[in-house]
Amino acid sequence: MEFFDSLILGFSTAVTPTNLLFCLIGALLGTLIGVLPGIGPTATLAILLPITFFLPPLAALIMLAGIFYGAQYGGSTTAILVNLPGEASSVVTAIDGYQMAKQGRAGAALAIAALGSFFAGTVSTIGLAVAGPTLAGFALSFGPAEYFSLTIFGLLCATILASGSVIKAIGMIGIGLLLGWVGTDVNSGSERLTFGAVELFDGIEFVVIAVGLFGIAEIIVNLETPESRGLIATKITSLWPTRDDFRKAWPAVLRGTGLGTFLGILPGGGATLSAFSAYTLEKKVSRNPKEFGRGAIQGVAGPEAANNAGAQSSFIPLLTLGIPSNAVMAMLLGAMTIHGITPGPSVMHNQPDLFWGLIASMWIGNLMLLVINLPLIGLWVKLLTVPYRLLYPAILVFCCVGVYSVSNRAFDVALAVGFGFLGYLFRKAKCEPGPLLLGFVLGPLLETNLRRAMLISQGSPSVFIERPISLALLIASAALFVLLLVPAIRKTREEAFVEEEA
Amino acid sequence: MANRSELGRKGNKPDLLAGLIFIVIGALGLWAGRDLRMGNAAMMGPGYLPLIVSALILLIGLGVTIMGLMSSSEPIGVIRLRPLLIILLAVAGFAYAAGSLGFIIAAAWLIGIGSLADPETRLREIAASIVVLTIFGILVFIVGLGVQMPLGPF
Repeated sequence: MEFFDSLILGFSTAVTPTNLLFCLIGALLGTLIGVLPGIGPTATLAILLPITFFLPPLAALIMLAGIFYGAQYGGSTTAILVNLPGEASSVVTAIDGYQMAKQGRAGAALAIAALGSFFAGTVSTIGLAVAGPTLAGFALSFGPAEYFSLTIFGLLCATILASGSVIKAIGMIGIGLLLGWVGTDVNSGSERLTFGAVELFDGIEFVVIAVGLFGIAEIIVNLETPESRGLIATKITSLWPTRDDFRKAWPAVLRGTGLGTFLGILPGGGATLSAFSAYTLEKKVSRNPKEFGRGAIQGVAGPEAANNAGAQSSFIPLLTLGIPSNAVMAMLLGAMTIHGITPGPSVMHNQPDLFWGLIASMWIGNLMLLVINLPLIGLWVKLLTVPYRLLYPAILVFCCVGVYSVSNRAFDVALAVGFGFLGYLFRKAKCEPGPLLLGFVLGPLLETNLRRAMLISQGSPSVFIERPISLALLIASAALFVLLLVPAIRKTREEAFVEEEA
Repeated sequence: MANRSELGRKGNKPDLLAGLIFIVIGALGLWAGRDLRMGNAAMMGPGYLPLIVSALILLIGLGVTIMGLMSSSEPIGVIRLRPLLIILLAVAGFAYAAGSLGFIIAAAWLIGIGSLADPETRLREIAASIVVLTIFGILVFIVGLGVQMPLGPF
């Protein structure tokens, strides 16, 4: 019965007026940025992170989470109607969704996408509620050696599942680690890597890096390419799918949900990877794969369910182990740190209202999104006509004031300019900035645990092999690394990401 | 498809740039940490991990550069200086003005200069953006959220 008590606690926390309000704001903002191409959830979270400092901790997390999963709903709308995926995770939805819209079945595609997303969101929220306490209980027995191995495993997984070159991703993690170590060393009290700048003695603020790499750099890159606009295929006549649509879609929704929930848990996974894998899976199991690309409803249902399931279940490693699995989760970790919460297994124990409230709010948010998306679809489509040149100055204001407000100093804004330029260079060099952010937030944790473990073992690295969980994690990391060197696997991985970049 | 003149050429430009960035950052890390105590594995000094990781980044940089030289030619993609320089200048100006000149001047600079990054922007739109966003910023950030920034230079 403890499970139900926890759920009741969660819902009673989530339905307070403040939390409901911020859940709605998050869902609305998420839909908005999902609809608008050129503004992704990662950048939005980075920009709004400083503002959450002024909110109560739970309301802040509820809003940020809402933005992330809300974007999965919103992204599919424009993918289907105008062949312009608002988010990377809805790129595959556009393939069959837009074809359906051209055939006059836009309503059916939108409805299936929204209903499938809602179903997937519900299932993976329950999954999070069930798996959370088990994993967290398991993690409570972790010592420094286990945490070190877990961090290494998480970071390595993130490089493999991220798109692009693995060696570059490892390099980016390294840069992130270095940046995370800037400031005063907790053990010896000496300054390091600060270049003598007093402003850096407390380390670099998470918000400065996030806004620079994801906010400012993204605006510059967006302005380099002229805006592309699709035309709305048809008027939406009937929103309700036919009986035949339902019959074809529900197995795809089920498969997508399962796949997405699983891939979301893996470090480096999340919404985008889930959607691409689900599309490939649907094509493989279909009896007539030729339908795909010509308006197959399974091609909408599977990926849409998967991206939402993946978005929800990627919260699991962060909330139970304290290890973020992708850049968005690193942002949430940043938000928790701003409020003085150390994410990890103890959160569930010490602040059960925070953990269960967030989970309950995710389900409520999914319900809100269903309402926000289906009846209000016309409104969101109108927003597409707002040109980017009017939007980005507003985003700039949010970026700058946000960075300034963290410690009320102009130095941070100047530092963000540097990271903006660096972020621009990274994009030109085809280096994903996500792993850098993961390295940055995990750097201090990695060093502390390595130091502790080595201090206990008096400098002998055998401590990592003698403890079974740590050994298993290290073997898994090594196996992943070896797998990557196998040419056949490397080739499949490259092929899997080719579609994504196209 | 690559045409004949490109067929024989080597050099993956994004990889070469990435290699250069890694080499510079790795070297910078080694240089910044040159005076830090290494310690030993049992009692790690402040320099232990930073120096090891800096060296690793430097090595990766060398590796990426060599791989970039050997793989087939790939261009770096469009680089337009206008948005790059204008946006960085706009934000840097905000940073300078925020401390001494106050929010109104800083925001007007940021929005006014920043808007020029898009060649399609019209003067009337810029003026409207400055007025609307500055007032919005004062109400939401300074009054509403209580961000500690003076409004004007006085």
